[in-house]
Amino acid sequence: MIGLRKSIFAMLAPSLSLIALFILVPIALTIWLAFTKWSVQTPFSSATFIGFDNFREIFGSTSVGRDFKGAMINTALYSAMSIALILPLSVVFGMLIHQAELKGANILRTILFATYMVPMIAVALVFSKLYSPTEGPFNQMLAWIGIGPQPWLSSPDTALVSVVLLNVWQQVGYFTILIIAGLTQIPQSIYEAAKMDGARGPALFGFITLPLLKRTLLFSVVIALINAVQVFEPVALITQGGPVGSTNVLTYHIRRVGIERAQGGLGSAMSVTLLLALVVTVTAVFALARREERR
Amino acid sequence: MTIRPLMGLFLGSAMAAFTSVASLNVAWAEDVTVSFLTHWPPETVAKLEAAAATYAKDHPGVKVEVRAVPFGDLLTTLRSQAGQAGGPTIAGIYDLWLPELARDKLVNAAPEANAADVTTNWPKGVATAASVGGTVYGYPNEIDVYALNYNKKLFEEAGIKEAPKTWDEFYAAAEKLTNKDKGQQGFGMINSWAAGVVHPFASLLASNGGALVVDGKPQLDSENAKATFELYEKLIKSGASVATMGTADANTTGPFLDNFVSGKTGMIIMANWWESALKAGMGDRFADVATAPIPVGPKGDGPHSISYSWMTVVSDGASDAEKKAAWDFLGWFNGPTSGENGASAMGDLLQSMGILPSRTSDVAAFAERLKTPFLAGYVDVLSEARPFPTVLGGQEFTESLQSHIEAVQFGKETAAEAAAAAQADAAAILEKAAQ
Repeated sequence: MIGLRKSIFAMLAPSLSLIALFILVPIALTIWLAFTKWSVQTPFSSATFIGFDNFREIFGSTSVGRDFKGAMINTALYSAMSIALILPLSVVFGMLIHQAELKGANILRTILFATYMVPMIAVALVFSKLYSPTEGPFNQMLAWIGIGPQPWLSSPDTALVSVVLLNVWQQVGYFTILIIAGLTQIPQSIYEAAKMDGARGPALFGFITLPLLKRTLLFSVVIALINAVQVFEPVALITQGGPVGSTNVLTYHIRRVGIERAQGGLGSAMSVTLLLALVVTVTAVFALARREERR
Repeated sequence: MTIRPLMGLFLGSAMAAFTSVASLNVAWAEDVTVSFLTHWPPETVAKLEAAAATYAKDHPGVKVEVRAVPFGDLLTTLRSQAGQAGGPTIAGIYDLWLPELARDKLVNAAPEANAADVTTNWPKGVATAASVGGTVYGYPNEIDVYALNYNKKLFEEAGIKEAPKTWDEFYAAAEKLTNKDKGQQGFGMINSWAAGVVHPFASLLASNGGALVVDGKPQLDSENAKATFELYEKLIKSGASVATMGTADANTTGPFLDNFVSGKTGMIIMANWWESALKAGMGDRFADVATAPIPVGPKGDGPHSISYSWMTVVSDGASDAEKKAAWDFLGWFNGPTSGENGASAMGDLLQSMGILPSRTSDVAAFAERLKTPFLAGYVDVLSEARPFPTVLGGQEFTESLQSHIEAVQFGKETAAEAAAAAQADAAAILEKAAQ
């Protein structure tokens, strides 16, 4: 028995060591730095312990606190809007493609997934031109149907939504593939049985497809949430967090504070808070799903 | 069986001997490698490499290696690599970043001869911006200054005969230039780009007799600053400036630039280095662009714009030999013998980008080039320009002020609220940074 344990540990040691080295150590280091005053330009040894001061500051009323809380709200709004748009769209697209009768399903599947493969730098550059208020194609198209020009990325009221739309365009293909994978797991016999009992379109969707797709949807929510919280490139490439901080999301803000302003301790405190918020949210999503299952 | 080991021994010895000779040659030819971090574009990097090659002819023991990163990544690269093993020996930096780099002992104080070179051959204000506490930390190079750019054609159409000299004339011109039916605004204000937002504001403030910071204390709630916020508010409320037309992207282009080059903005306040962007965007219509001093406010004593400079610093973490070689290279590169006709090689390089050099002898050497209508307007205002304050926490201070100016632009704060909030935030930021 002891020999078996030893060999299990020996086999697990290489992978566990790598995980510890590249994941646990940086996390532990960040947590430690969150309680220090440290300039990222200096060695770790120069960090001085200041207790909870960094956390007090990021939740305080100074500009640091206001900007951080603003970035938290922006990130939460961005994540909520992204999930609220991506999931229903991916279910609709997934069901469309999954229908064997639909002609051109493979082409639609390829087109949808292709958006996910386009590098964000290209997406950001193209969308910044598409959104151009005066010469952008989006406004020209709106003019054809009698809608006046929209400011898109140029107004604090619409900039975040515009970045969300860009994200939805890029991510929906990936989630459609996940939904299709989920749909293929639902046995046809269940639909046939329901049909024999008289169930049709909406009833089939509401009482069979959706409940049996719950695990896939749960997985999609968690992945979409993690992706959304990590949004960085479109903000860094197009909006720089503006106008008036309306697109200043947490990852971009942490980079600005931690690296550009060299305030490593504050940046680490923000990172730890983001990590905790993400853990709590994902745990809550799973808890909610489990409760639903028990019902 | 006996031959193979011998052959191996022989080959091994031959290889070792070859390697030793090669390494001796390398050691003789390139005793010191100096790396030079810059954000310049490829064609400028090629000029820098050519200058380094010229320098190497007389200094065979030194190799200057150029590392180029995009502008947006320069500060990040500097923050993460400076002082590290393998970090850049020389780096081109924005003078606002210097106080923090000096505080963290990442930059090397210039040796006496180089420091004397800088204080003797550069204008006092520029040399001061390259110093912290009286210690010179690098060679100034690029200098940028703000001025009013206006579209002569739009002025003509609006019946405006000359560039506005006062705020009243400026506001009147902005109103006349505004044509909502054509989607045309009188004056363009930038948003979403910290320096692009703050520098024009600071130029108008300086021309109204004010300053952002005096003796390390922010002055954003002074009467001069309040009046500047009010001018912005008035322009926005009247529709003479449309905030949504002023967005800039990470490349400092975007709608703000598009609207000026396409003739939808009558006036902007912008720096000289934009010349190449304007030329690229406007082509022949670049001839319509004129430059004038910043309009003077009611409390101002004359037009004063904001200037800022770039400089090259040497890493304090480099070895003594690297530091010595780096300072020697910088002295030569910025000196009057490395370029043509009494200009420095750095001056040649800056002029290739349309940027104003700061060394006094370079300004004289490029006198003819600086007489072009566009650049002459900038050279004229240079002597009365006020350097942007280089203080600890400068980056955070700039971003904080940016947020309040943008809040006025988008009607999220009144001028009075913005002045009070900007002052409170700036005071807290500078006080904390000074600790």
